[in-house]
Amino acid sequence: MNSAANSRMIEIVHVNRTFQRADGQMVKAVDNVSVVIKEGEFVCLVGPSGCGKTTLLQMVAGLLEPSDGGIAVAGREISGPGRERGMVFQKDSVFPWMRVIDNVEYGLKCRGVPAAQRREIARTYLERVGLGHVEKAWPRELSGGMLKRVAIATVFANGSRVLLLDEPFGALDYVTRHQLQSVLLDLWDEGGAAARRTVLFVTHDVDEALSLADRILVFHSGHLVDDLAVTAERPRSTDSLLLPDMVAIKHKLLAHLGLEKRAKPLAIVQDGAAS
Amino acid sequence: MITSHVHRDRWISVAVFLTLAAIWQVLSMVYTAEAQPGEPMIAGWQVLFTNTFLAMSDYWQGGFGVPAVADGAARSYPAAFLAVASHSIDTIGRLAIGLAVGGAAGLLFGLAVSWSRWTRRLFDWPLQFLRTLPLLAMVPLFQLWFGTYFLGEVLFVAYGIGVIVFAGTVNAVRNVPQIYIDNARSLGASRWTLCRTIVLPAIFPAMRSTILLSLGAGWSAVLGAEYLGAQSGLGYIIVYAQQFAYLDRMFFIALLFIVYTSISYWAIGRLSARWLAWAPPSQRR
Repeated sequence: MNSAANSRMIEIVHVNRTFQRADGQMVKAVDNVSVVIKEGEFVCLVGPSGCGKTTLLQMVAGLLEPSDGGIAVAGREISGPGRERGMVFQKDSVFPWMRVIDNVEYGLKCRGVPAAQRREIARTYLERVGLGHVEKAWPRELSGGMLKRVAIATVFANGSRVLLLDEPFGALDYVTRHQLQSVLLDLWDEGGAAARRTVLFVTHDVDEALSLADRILVFHSGHLVDDLAVTAERPRSTDSLLLPDMVAIKHKLLAHLGLEKRAKPLAIVQDGAAS
Repeated sequence: MITSHVHRDRWISVAVFLTLAAIWQVLSMVYTAEAQPGEPMIAGWQVLFTNTFLAMSDYWQGGFGVPAVADGAARSYPAAFLAVASHSIDTIGRLAIGLAVGGAAGLLFGLAVSWSRWTRRLFDWPLQFLRTLPLLAMVPLFQLWFGTYFLGEVLFVAYGIGVIVFAGTVNAVRNVPQIYIDNARSLGASRWTLCRTIVLPAIFPAMRSTILLSLGAGWSAVLGAEYLGAQSGLGYIIVYAQQFAYLDRMFFIALLFIVYTSISYWAIGRLSARWLAWAPPSQRR
């Protein structure tokens, strides 16, 4: 892979997705979205529910096909799911019939990694997410937050270069959510800035987006309506959210979500502002 | 507290069982009518475990140094025991092989229906059609096609079980949560791996009731097949006894059936509960 292809990790080109509702009416869930995401970027997708952010994420994952347009990852057009794109789902996706460690090993096993090697990798990531002590437990014995840790360990163990997270912490309590955000950031940053994975993170929590993202994409009714860079230094703290730049971005986000009055009328971003 | 509840429940079950046995004994003493001289309509326990059991010698073909009654030997307990054992083995063997063949075929076709659009077109409609054929009406056909000793009975049992397992599998696969399939695919599972590591374990809790249901159908099917023309097995003894109005022998075999079916339900229940160690307790009962 050359560096030019690498820097353009995810290319989404004029992607559309229409659904047929039960009453026969066609609904455009994603409407002509184009955006380029660089390698190592942590991108949050924000928008009111039903804005198409999850649909877009599922298309990048390969679980849904675009009605029109194309998506390329690391320079290759995708068709179907692939292990270079790991997905963490909103609902519990940990397989209840496998012990915790077997869950973390699952992707490696699918690729035929030798048993001893995959166990070592799985143990490493279970330790990293703080679950070294429950590797032999059944998932039913774990709390919701612990299950999310297992899901995160699983995608990291699988060595995906792109991580797709669909409101992963939406159903968790405040404390657990913040713990898991730092677990995620630590893993993302484990090899230093040069080795960072590319992350697409869907959330409806404005503060979550501000404390995690390098860049925030805002969606509304299937359109990409804003593309905001978050330049605050890492690691970020509660105080970071009070920096003038951050407060300005927060106001913009709240306006897009309809919680604050807009300063100017809504404009649709074409072809990705950052490309 | 929970263990003491279980303990108490068990004692209640034993008490009910003993009461039923006692009622039967009382009935046999009150209602003494006979189907024919020496053949009580209701045989008490003292008859069932002596005369009736001894009479089972009649169904012993001879061997193991114990001669057959048909060859002029007197009835004996060894001959009775061997007769009951050999006919039981015939029946249970037919059931077990039919269960294995029918269960495997039903599962395979059930999975095939959800494998792809093409396999669905290929298997779904014909198998749904096959399902609607009344089971017992098929007995004479199976016997004419496949004979009355082994193949005919086994295939008939397999057919009876296969259609139930097929329907259960199709239904269970339909209910596998999509998120597990999506997750496995995005982790890199091939379609075959998906079927083996996700679909099969995911359908198992639902399949447990299907397996128990098909076990019941299997016992009926093997008995039905033996009623209608088999030359051995417990069903054959019942038919033979009915022709001579040996009510006590019929009742004895019926009791034997209750014992066997109870053991088979218990064994499969225990085994599947072990395989479901991962599931919440509510799904293991």
